[in-house]
Amino acid sequence: MEALAFKDDISGGAVQAANSMQLIAFSIGEQTYGVEITTVREIRAWNGATPLPNTREFVRGVINLRGTIVPIFDLRARFGEGQTSPTKNHVVVVMSVGEKWVGILVDAVSDILTVSKDDIHNVPEGNSIDTELLNGIVTHDSRMVGLIDLHAVVSGASSKLDS
Amino acid sequence: MSDLDDFKATYFDECSELLLELEEQFAAIEDGDRSSNRLNAVFRAIHSIKGGGGAFGFSGLVGFAHAYETLLDHVRDGRVELSEAVTALCIRANDIVADYVAAARDGTELAEGYGAEEKHQFDALTSGDPDLGSESMEEFDIDFVPVMVTIAGAEDELAAEPFDLAVLDDSFEAPPLSPETGHWTIRFTPHSELYARANDPLLLLRELATLGDVEVNARVDEVPALADFEPFGVYCAWEITLRSETATEATIAEVFEFVEGNCDLSIERGLVPSAEDMLDRTMEETAPSPAELIETAEVAPGAEAAPVLSFAELAESMKPALKAAAPVMPAPLKPSATASEEPEGDNDRRSGPEDRRNGVQSIRVDLDKIDRVVNMVGELVITQSMLTQQMDETLRARYQELVRGLEVLAQTTRGLQDSVMSIRAQPVKTVFSRMPRLVRELTAKTGKKIRLETIGENTEIDKTIIEQLSDPLTHMIRNSADHGIESPEKRVAAGKAEGGVIRLSAEQAGGNILIAVEDDGGGINRERVLQVARERGVVGPEQQLSDEQIDQLIFAPGFSTAAEVSDISGRGVGMDVVLSNIKKIGGSVHVKSWTGKGTRMTLRLPLTLAVLDVMLVKVAGSPYVIPLSSIVETIQCARANFSRMPTGAQVLQVRGEYVQVVDLATRFAMGTEIERDNRFVVLCEAEGGVKVALIVDDIIGQQQVVIKSLEENFQSIEGIAGGTILGDGNVALIVDVQGLKSQALNHKSAA
Repeated sequence: MEALAFKDDISGGAVQAANSMQLIAFSIGEQTYGVEITTVREIRAWNGATPLPNTREFVRGVINLRGTIVPIFDLRARFGEGQTSPTKNHVVVVMSVGEKWVGILVDAVSDILTVSKDDIHNVPEGNSIDTELLNGIVTHDSRMVGLIDLHAVVSGASSKLDS
Repeated sequence: MSDLDDFKATYFDECSELLLELEEQFAAIEDGDRSSNRLNAVFRAIHSIKGGGGAFGFSGLVGFAHAYETLLDHVRDGRVELSEAVTALCIRANDIVADYVAAARDGTELAEGYGAEEKHQFDALTSGDPDLGSESMEEFDIDFVPVMVTIAGAEDELAAEPFDLAVLDDSFEAPPLSPETGHWTIRFTPHSELYARANDPLLLLRELATLGDVEVNARVDEVPALADFEPFGVYCAWEITLRSETATEATIAEVFEFVEGNCDLSIERGLVPSAEDMLDRTMEETAPSPAELIETAEVAPGAEAAPVLSFAELAESMKPALKAAAPVMPAPLKPSATASEEPEGDNDRRSGPEDRRNGVQSIRVDLDKIDRVVNMVGELVITQSMLTQQMDETLRARYQELVRGLEVLAQTTRGLQDSVMSIRAQPVKTVFSRMPRLVRELTAKTGKKIRLETIGENTEIDKTIIEQLSDPLTHMIRNSADHGIESPEKRVAAGKAEGGVIRLSAEQAGGNILIAVEDDGGGINRERVLQVARERGVVGPEQQLSDEQIDQLIFAPGFSTAAEVSDISGRGVGMDVVLSNIKKIGGSVHVKSWTGKGTRMTLRLPLTLAVLDVMLVKVAGSPYVIPLSSIVETIQCARANFSRMPTGAQVLQVRGEYVQVVDLATRFAMGTEIERDNRFVVLCEAEGGVKVALIVDDIIGQQQVVIKSLEENFQSIEGIAGGTILGDGNVALIVDVQGLKSQALNHKSAA
């Protein structure tokens, strides 16, 4: 999967214009979400994680990424749709958020998209969890892709306190 | 970074070392040690700081250091008496020099005329001698010229040497030979038993030097050709000329009292050969043996780390200032920082010629590089323990060679780990020696009389921990000075000595280092603490606390009993900082107070941060590790004696003691399907001797782990002290026993 991603990256990157950005698109059920490709560090298959006590249900635990401990967030659970039951076919996208590295558990990585920044729309008001976790919405090939706000996704993880 | 910046960085590194040395020397001088070698060391340190400062154009620093140096010169010559007042002035001057150095390093400006008053006092003290006072400033640049060349050779350690050489002439100049004073010639030929009994000729020679002026000449005619040389052989004897009015045969013999029978000793009145003759002979005799065998060892007053000189340089420098020349084999005389200090590393002492330069050979290495090595060794240790775990009985029987290889690997890894750790280990002296200044400042601010005692400052501990110690110690000493020690009037009224004592001590206790700050003040005012705690809602109105629990309240964030905020303390930040800093490095803090008698705060710190011995357990299918140092014992649940408190809380009865029970599965909100009786109790001891029984599903074994931070990519989690990576690549969480215990207390009090 990684190799595939990189090949696309190279061919797509060559034509990248100043006003466009590349996204890695991944899916959760029928939904497609994307993050800017520059934040992605690594894509790996789900191989279990050590659960962390006293954290919210969307924190799946921690994994060992070449000697450092990286937390894994379950994106489905983060959107309030219940925990994923991960199999070997599920994918962890490791990304950098500021100084930290985090992994996001998704169903599959689907594509690399090049989109124009002008095509990014604001998230319509209404659904609070969508407005909280998305930076914007972009349409690509008549598919709607939600741009993930990573900072928002990883915040508020330890929270026995507010439950 | 330009070359000049490199030099500057080196210079500031050296300055901080020299300032530490100043602090040490004056601590001894304050205690009444007025020997001239202390003064010489002080003089050299100031001179080196001044010389380097001149080269970089720190004129304020140079101006002040120069005036100070002039005073020291007068003191050394006896023109100015080293009275209490002068000592106090000098100590103040050290602080000012330190400020100047800090300002130069940070590129900040000190207030105009900073230290002018002290400078004025120097001038007043030294004005009796105008020719020295008017010494021109240009001279410093000349002093420094050789330094640039030496540093360019990237020999940091040697960088300070030219400074030393520059002062060598005036600091060691022997008074002109005066034949009318009492002369003694002592011939001292040690036998090998002398070394075997761990005696050190250097110490004897130094002691001899306290009797009067000595000249030590080594007799090396016995030294064989290198081919016949035996590393443990004894080939060196000494001939010492002692000039002293007061020495008698008996007092000289007393010096050698403990080595009697292990050496040949002759003590004769009168001067035998002249120093020049001796020098010629020494040169002649040592010529056939490798020139490097020679190293100066200063034994006379003024003993101080002797620069390593080539033989030619040695001959040059000996002529005017010969005090002692001794070949360093077979017992290498290690020049040590101060004469009174025990030379370290007695074991290496006679282990061979390659050790002869131990005392002076060192390199500066970036801590980052060492840390990388430490981390890798940590991983290696873990991989090794993983390999060992993989060996089951059938494998053991089949591949005996492999097993043997693994055993050797385990040993080597252990050795490697110990050596790497010792690179990082440093004596706590580096942080302790900053404290006298703090106490002086506090004394001045509070108007109390406080004396600081330090014990065990050679205790070694990991450098990272040392760096983290400075803030907590500062806060603890401030706290002791401000809250602990009473005003002189109160102390006298309470029947105590007027001056208070703060004792700072360090000792090793098993795998931990204990650092204690004690004072003989009034102790913690528990009523006041409790009252404030209740006012602030730290403690509920109904809650009853034991004395010990009240004492621990001083660590609560924002907690202060001070009626008003002074610039020393009272903001309530200090003790909170102590606790959080110490926790961060895996240590713990304990306070014990005796009303009217004083307070003792103890820091328990791990020896090293890199590797932790742990017990691996399983809770709800996930691996957890518990630090071995906190485990008292493990018990099968089926055999454990549980009972219920009236509140329903479970307790465990162990040897007549009731211990609170924490079921980790429940505590961590994870279900377990293991039957109660098949689970295990891990009895742990948290800080302050409080026990807590953790219930786990299974005990897997013991191993060593490298601590990994959870905060690096995530955040801290209550009840978890960190993470670690097991041999199979999975992550295990480290149980925070101390944290669990205090949470349990909170839960109880909330209920």
